[in-house]
Amino acid sequence: MYRYDEFDAAFVRERTGQFADQVRRRVSGELSEDQFRPLRLMNGLYLQLHAYMLRIAVPYGTLSSRQLRTLGHIARKYDRGYGHFTTRQNIQFNWPRLTDIPEILSDLASVEMHAIQTSGNCIRNITTDQFAGAAADEIIDPRPVAEILRQWSSLHPEFTYLPRKFKIAMTGAPNDRAAVKFHDIGLMAATNPEGEIGWAVHVGGGMGRTPMIAKLLNGFVPHEHLLAYLESVLRVYNRYGRRDNKYKARIKILVHEEGIETIREQVEAEFAAIKGGVLHLPQEELDRISAYFAPPDFERLNATSIDVAREKILDPVYGRWLDNNIHSHRVPGYASVTISLKPIGGAPGDATAEQMEAVAGLAEKYSFDELRVTHEQNLVLPHVKIAHLREIYDALVEAGLAEGNSGLITDIIACPGLDFCALANARSIPIAQAISQRFGAPERQKEIGELKIKISGCINACGHHHVGHIGILGVEKKGTELYQITVGGDATEDAAIGSILGHGFVADEVPNAVERLVDTYLEKRESAQEPFIAAFRRLGEAPFKEALYGNA
Amino acid sequence: MEILTGNELLSGATVYLDRHGNWVEDINEARVFLTEETEARDAAVAATRATMRINSLETETVTLKDGKVIADRLRERIRADGPTAPVFDRQHLGEDGHVSI
Repeated sequence: MYRYDEFDAAFVRERTGQFADQVRRRVSGELSEDQFRPLRLMNGLYLQLHAYMLRIAVPYGTLSSRQLRTLGHIARKYDRGYGHFTTRQNIQFNWPRLTDIPEILSDLASVEMHAIQTSGNCIRNITTDQFAGAAADEIIDPRPVAEILRQWSSLHPEFTYLPRKFKIAMTGAPNDRAAVKFHDIGLMAATNPEGEIGWAVHVGGGMGRTPMIAKLLNGFVPHEHLLAYLESVLRVYNRYGRRDNKYKARIKILVHEEGIETIREQVEAEFAAIKGGVLHLPQEELDRISAYFAPPDFERLNATSIDVAREKILDPVYGRWLDNNIHSHRVPGYASVTISLKPIGGAPGDATAEQMEAVAGLAEKYSFDELRVTHEQNLVLPHVKIAHLREIYDALVEAGLAEGNSGLITDIIACPGLDFCALANARSIPIAQAISQRFGAPERQKEIGELKIKISGCINACGHHHVGHIGILGVEKKGTELYQITVGGDATEDAAIGSILGHGFVADEVPNAVERLVDTYLEKRESAQEPFIAAFRRLGEAPFKEALYGNA
Repeated sequence: MEILTGNELLSGATVYLDRHGNWVEDINEARVFLTEETEARDAAVAATRATMRINSLETETVTLKDGKVIADRLRERIRADGPTAPVFDRQHLGEDGHVSI
């Protein structure tokens, strides 16, 4: 993992002290709220419905055991004993008091963490594949470049007041687990004809009120030129992005209105001017940062396998966990484990202080002191010996974290919704809970197979409803919460935006509506090997629309 | 009918202006401004702003039912009672949270 150098440590320490003084001046009345609000937002501090909310950055979703323990400590000491992992691989605390924030930031700084640039019109946390550095299908580990981008984008003087917020995601694998085509910039590892590895740059993706799939801007940018190329994209956006209308201010609107060719011409012109300058990335620097992400000291093991069929007979619940929560590792004898934060009927993405400490202990003991946060609001132990899976599972059972539902219908993404969020129009969590309970039976989940449900409580789409195989958007109509259902969204490399099939449903009707969609899929799929999204693509909207609304 | 609501600076807790000019946690203690009391309401808003201690200051329409003050919007009913899922007690004022106009 990356470790702060003297510059990083001094910078975060100074910023923490600076914000402590700003809090002091706000409390004493020297600063008005109008003066203070932009300062607190720059430090990740929002004011929500019931209390302040502190959003803490988890760079590219990577945490050490020590860092997760500190998050558990913060949850216990300053909050209500839990934290909420978000769809941008960050963590939020929903109940801190303003006067505790300086101490929280100080605790975070002690483990090389902060809350800077988790809000505001700047470049936000760079997200990536939760299996980075571990996945068997990976072309390159994206984390060294992600770290370089983090350093480049942190307090970038030119990009601190962009037209709107700016989100970058990257994946080093062809199987996109980071939803890169739904980000302002999406980077996918690519190879050129010479076999060199670089980055395909996609631009103008996003969700929100105007969902767009990113367009390919450049099929191959070498590592050494990536910073200059991204700087060029940001400069074009900063210059031409619309500042007159916040709803049209994201780069996706600029790309849509001007066309990808125009944007490409502008970017290339800018790139030609700055290429090879101060943003040239020397191989030595890439090597220096890459050294922080060197593979851990894996043992040379024979390819280990588990007889899952046998385990299922001996212990069906463990067998189900093996079936769903284990991901192939590039090193023989190892695997990555997804720790589900989706207990049946629970709040998606929430973890208690005790659970954080338990996971930190497991990472320390079994996963080279490393763990990940997924954009689907789960945690991952990236590097565990297959021989240790049973011990890990038993510990997860004890911590209440052994739900074997990764990728299944109850592995639901949901934003905090109207229960917490000042922007929301409708509640998300109770809908997720109701669906989870409806489909919670293991046999039912297994029968349905891979099906991603994503729920947002407003059009800002923090719950990624546009890319849910089944997406649910909460709206408010004449004082009532209504839920609009979309079908056919996909966040992967086969990116698709879900289609709205008709009118919305009141909350009580949503589980039945989802069940009708699921039953239609089960009835019409070619075989159990055809997943929901594949069946939808083959069948089209008609049978699903009929399932929801009849023939009318 | 309207009430004044906001979030207290130090705790962030949801609070309401009561009949005595204190900012309190219980919506049922909120002063209800009638349509003809806009002048008094606006004066309370100005006095509250001068304290610099109440953020997100808003007027909210309410209905009186069985002696209770019921916010018309669901959002406000959730603010008054705390989150519904997962259920948590609402945020409370600290000892240093008293604000009055």
